Amino acid sequence: MDLNYTPEQQAFRAEARAWLEANVPAEPLPSFDTAEGFAAHREWEKKLSAARWAAVSWPEEYGGRGADYLTWLIFEEEYFRAGAPGRVNQNGIFLLGPTIMEVGTDEQKARFLPTMASSEIVWAQAWSEPNAGSDLAAIRATARRDGDEWVLNGQKIWASRAVWSDWCFGIFRTDPEAQRHKGLTFFLMPLDLPGITVRPIAQLDGDTGFAEIFFDDVRIPLDSNLGGINKGWNVAMATAGFERGVSLRSPARFSSAADRLVRLWHEQADTSDDALRDAVTDAWMQAEGYKLHTYQTVTGMIEGRAIGSEASLNKIFWSEMDVRIHEIALDILGPEAEVMEGASERWVDGFLFSLAGPIYAGTNEIQRNIIADRVLQLPKGV
Amino acid sequence: MRFSFTDDQRAFSDGLNEMLTREFPAARLREMWEAGEGHSPDLWQRLTDMGVMAMLVPEADGGMGGSMVDAVLLFQALGRAAVPGPVIEHIVVSPLLVGSSFGDGVLDGSVVATAALFGETHVAHADVAQVIITPNGVLHGFTSERVTGIDEGRHLADVSGGQTEALTFDADSLRDRLSIAAAAYLIGLGETMIAIAGDYARQREQFGKPIGSFQAVKHLMANALLKVEFAKAPTYRAAWSVDHDTVNAGRDASMAKALASEAAYQASRASMQVHGGIGYTWEADIQLFMKKAWAMQRAFGDARTHRRRVADAILGPRP
Repeated sequence: MDLNYTPEQQAFRAEARAWLEANVPAEPLPSFDTAEGFAAHREWEKKLSAARWAAVSWPEEYGGRGADYLTWLIFEEEYFRAGAPGRVNQNGIFLLGPTIMEVGTDEQKARFLPTMASSEIVWAQAWSEPNAGSDLAAIRATARRDGDEWVLNGQKIWASRAVWSDWCFGIFRTDPEAQRHKGLTFFLMPLDLPGITVRPIAQLDGDTGFAEIFFDDVRIPLDSNLGGINKGWNVAMATAGFERGVSLRSPARFSSAADRLVRLWHEQADTSDDALRDAVTDAWMQAEGYKLHTYQTVTGMIEGRAIGSEASLNKIFWSEMDVRIHEIALDILGPEAEVMEGASERWVDGFLFSLAGPIYAGTNEIQRNIIADRVLQLPKGV
Repeated sequence: MRFSFTDDQRAFSDGLNEMLTREFPAARLREMWEAGEGHSPDLWQRLTDMGVMAMLVPEADGGMGGSMVDAVLLFQALGRAAVPGPVIEHIVVSPLLVGSSFGDGVLDGSVVATAALFGETHVAHADVAQVIITPNGVLHGFTSERVTGIDEGRHLADVSGGQTEALTFDADSLRDRLSIAAAAYLIGLGETMIAIAGDYARQREQFGKPIGSFQAVKHLMANALLKVEFAKAPTYRAAWSVDHDTVNAGRDASMAKALASEAAYQASRASMQVHGGIGYTWEADIQLFMKKAWAMQRAFGDARTHRRRVADAILGPRP
């Protein structure tokens, strides 16, 4: 165990910090869940990518720096420290990208990864359906083979930023006879194909962050699948492992929120209120604990230990912590906590966004089932 | 940056876990409880022979020359088996005692040491120990009178008389080490309670199914596991911080003890609840571990005390 950063890691941190200080926009960009904000965030991604900061953990040939996950964590710390914009192509860079690297063909890697790193192509996730949410294996959207093509039909929902995205990665039923998990295939396709209709859904915060996608006899080439025909469930679970594990919510996000909470406490709280003092301390300890836990997980990955079902623990932990940090902030803000502009806006917005955390990427109830079944080895339920 | 244990560190703690599983099952702990023994000389000797008890004593003084990082998984293993007696205290204070007139006995297992450094009203393990480390030095030749406690593996006593052999040491640092050792021990207890409850949930049937197949039971246990798992990294980090005497060592030790105390408590509540009525009986083994957890979560400073120490470090002193 050595919790000091190496000289190389320190040098990397300094380089990242200097670049971010010189390049992060002084004014926050508009929300990437708006048309204007989406375009501005894509431009930011192009800038990041040009300087090879968009996907630091990817191999150099695909636009990354070949950095290990520890180095990536350092980058994330600097990124949040600098208050840099949200990552509009996170579904691509952090979810689909690693999955393509794991199961994609060489041709797919060469074709999709560089344009993903540069955000020339921004990706949306098309997994959930109106009747396949927590029960993801109940997917009904179909892909039927017709000569040299697949023909897609069905409806997807909760596809983040699909309104403005370029491509999507979706799961479709390719074998209607097979058992639930077995007849699914993972497909990649552009969103502007004939027969695809994207309909925005207004979120709790009023922005159109996610969408429904309708597929009516959409034709895609035979080689559009990722990871093999009828192997979609395993491919999806590999993606979900990355998502729930470390890549979707790096600890820096919460360390930065906890630090802002401490500042808010100093500036606005009744510092003689011991209950509030304890609550702020508890939130800080959770953020610190999540960071330490992630450093431990990532060291294990570098040393060759696989990240398995315990990724579900992370997802519950960070999502509940995020809600808690914002609840305490709103407690400090008091009557200002209903004001959606000015100084309290970021906290109130953050609170609304945090409430999605226990729901997306598999609800926390589903994560608890996964932990109980696979980590605690309890008998399968209904 | 490398946040992991070495193969040697893992192997040593795996060996200790295996030995304790084999030689100190819950049935043996129960016998000791019922016989009113707060300490097992046989097990103590076994741990001494393995090098566990002298893990922190420098090699030049006849010990294993280990750091707190080397020892932290051992404390966790001792907690998994709820090993009775002053194992935490003895291991942590041994490096000081080798410089006293009790050094040889401390190393060969014939002298048992405990500690009273947190302003305790009663001294834990005083009836089975020959020496007590106090802020003034090494107290010996004392008499002790038992006070009934909740954990039969951790006898409490009132101490009177005796002589003190002067010893100078950094009491803050020693308290931090005790807190970290206790945190690791509590994590081990939490792991065992969850394992026992898991066994019960797999075997006990209601409505024609194992109760572990019900989501209410699954979620109760998953939540407890979450707390225990997320107390680990802060505890291991605290061990590293005291080894390297970092500026945040005290804060980190307190964070570990606060999180581990709460985690073990939650594990105890969830595990008892999973047992239903059986959880409220003397016969169920879960009680041996729960009561140890309830004692240890208070010992060496409770979660509230330690959280406030963290608060002072990150928010500044209370107004």
